[in-house]
Amino acid sequence: MSSETPMSQPSTGTTARGATVTAQPANKIILDTRNMMKSFGGLRAVDDCSFTVARGSITGLIGPNGAGKSTAANMITGFIRADSGNIMFDGKDIARMPVHTIARRGLTRTFQITRELERMTVTENLMAAPHDQLGESFWLGLLDLPAVRRQEDEFLQRALQLLQDFDLYHLRDEYAGNLSGGQRRLLELARVVMTKPKLLLLDEPFAGINPVLASRLSDYIKVLCREKGITFLIIEHNLAMVERLCHTVIVMALGRTIAEGTMAELRQNPAVVDAYLGEG
Amino acid sequence: MPTIVFYLLTLAVFGAIYGTLAMGLNIQWGYTGILDFMYIAFVALGGYVTSLLMLPPSQPALGETYVLGLNWPFIPAIIVGGLAAALLALIVGLLALNRLRSDYFAIVTVAASLVLYTIAGNDTPLVNGWDGISGIPQPFQGAFNLDANGYGFFFFGLCLVILLIVYIFSERLYRSPFGRALRSVREDEMVAQGLGKNVFSLRLKAFVIGAFIAGIGGSLLVIYVDAFNPSAWTTGETFFLWAALLLGGSANNRGAMLGALIVPVLFAEITRFLPTFGSPQVVDAFRYIAIGVLLILTVRFRPQGIIAEKRFRVRKSKLQKLQPALAGASPGVHITDADLEDDAGILPARGTPAQDEEGRTL
Repeated sequence: MSSETPMSQPSTGTTARGATVTAQPANKIILDTRNMMKSFGGLRAVDDCSFTVARGSITGLIGPNGAGKSTAANMITGFIRADSGNIMFDGKDIARMPVHTIARRGLTRTFQITRELERMTVTENLMAAPHDQLGESFWLGLLDLPAVRRQEDEFLQRALQLLQDFDLYHLRDEYAGNLSGGQRRLLELARVVMTKPKLLLLDEPFAGINPVLASRLSDYIKVLCREKGITFLIIEHNLAMVERLCHTVIVMALGRTIAEGTMAELRQNPAVVDAYLGEG
Repeated sequence: MPTIVFYLLTLAVFGAIYGTLAMGLNIQWGYTGILDFMYIAFVALGGYVTSLLMLPPSQPALGETYVLGLNWPFIPAIIVGGLAAALLALIVGLLALNRLRSDYFAIVTVAASLVLYTIAGNDTPLVNGWDGISGIPQPFQGAFNLDANGYGFFFFGLCLVILLIVYIFSERLYRSPFGRALRSVREDEMVAQGLGKNVFSLRLKAFVIGAFIAGIGGSLLVIYVDAFNPSAWTTGETFFLWAALLLGGSANNRGAMLGALIVPVLFAEITRFLPTFGSPQVVDAFRYIAIGVLLILTVRFRPQGIIAEKRFRVRKSKLQKLQPALAGASPGVHITDADLEDDAGILPARGTPAQDEEGRTL
């Protein structure tokens, strides 16, 4: 990868690349969290977390263990309800919405420890993903109407295409529970892509996978961002990978957002160095 | 009719009825992963409602008191019986399915089953208490001019037809996108939610559908045994059905039917021929112990059951139909190590205009 590739773009860099993305919406901020707060008992996991994610960007979220990154991720995707604060996604406050409603609005996630539909095949994992499936209504599914079949064919087509893109095509009839760790990461990403999301939150996507696969995964992420216009918010400890991928990086420490900028900028920021990066 | 034929016919009828019941439980547990330990209460409620609708008005002078007694014909009665069970599931589900994790929900179902059992037994005017109801009119009796033997075969045929309908229904459900969504809930609730599935709604639907089938099967059961009281549906009976489903194969309808044939029918019958020893309860207790051992052995050595869940495979014909489009979009490209450091990656080459580094279309 040459040094002129996306990560060297400024934080709003995607608008330059965004020329290829279909119909760039006027609103440039896709996610805007304002003063999110969450306590567990006496422990204040997230104290005052506010940040924005630019539409079409790949944004990193870094910070030491216990900084509240995962809690923030859980609040954004609805798995945990924030004690207070607002989470504006695509112009709507989603802070009080249930997980599935948020997902249907186009914000979904992958998990730190991969989660599969284990006793379903790789293809089924993808086929189960799309929203607005006619056949998921009891009666339409039971009657198996031509419209349902057409939609199923369309989903199968998309699923197989994605499996081919993600090098999982030969495993299409395998149970997801039989895949290796790296394949699970790919499957999880393919599965959320099937839902045609606007914003994907990836929780440590590179944890525990080998460098070759990590490199491949990062390529996929860049391509998905560019080709499908998906915005990414990535929680990651692998700073080299963050540097390579992310346009903007947000730093959290002790439940607060303490800085935002490119990795190069953050290295010069004493607060960030002190809290996370450490001396050279 | 020779006794042995009559005996085998009895077993066959029980096999068909328990097969139906096992498939209802399969939709709840095998498809959706709901721990339902009150399944037998749905069976009983369906059976009671259907019978009470078909019975003539109660005659307290003869020492029998029950509600309804409307002389209804069989078909509307059994449908309402099924709906009654479904309604009970809806109520229990609305109260508890949303708030509780599956293991806590299981405790609620056990409690609900016991509450209903106690009410049915102690509130005598309702369903004649512990003495139970009897003398339920036989469906279609007199319609075909059959003698007792002929009617036995006719009733078996009726059970078989219902078994077949439930089987076809369950199979279609399994294969439908709705069934797939149910299985995604079974596999991982959080993933399903993340994919935009309303987990509560899906679980509630599966719970209600399973209960409806329980009500239908229960109606046949009560009509066939012709005498039904609360001792016939203790919580222990639920575990007979669970053992049947787990042994036969969860999430596989043929497995469920096979299990129903093995556990509640054959197993219960074999133990009937054991020599009696000690107190009369010993054989009964032994039966429960044996079922428990069977369950443990199944879960330990063959957790998928005798007939495992069928794996979905993309059909060859479908692949051939879709392959040209696939091949056209991606002419056999694979990511190679050489591509790994290449920002262009492999995806942009597919089905989209070529682009330069800045993403402008060339």
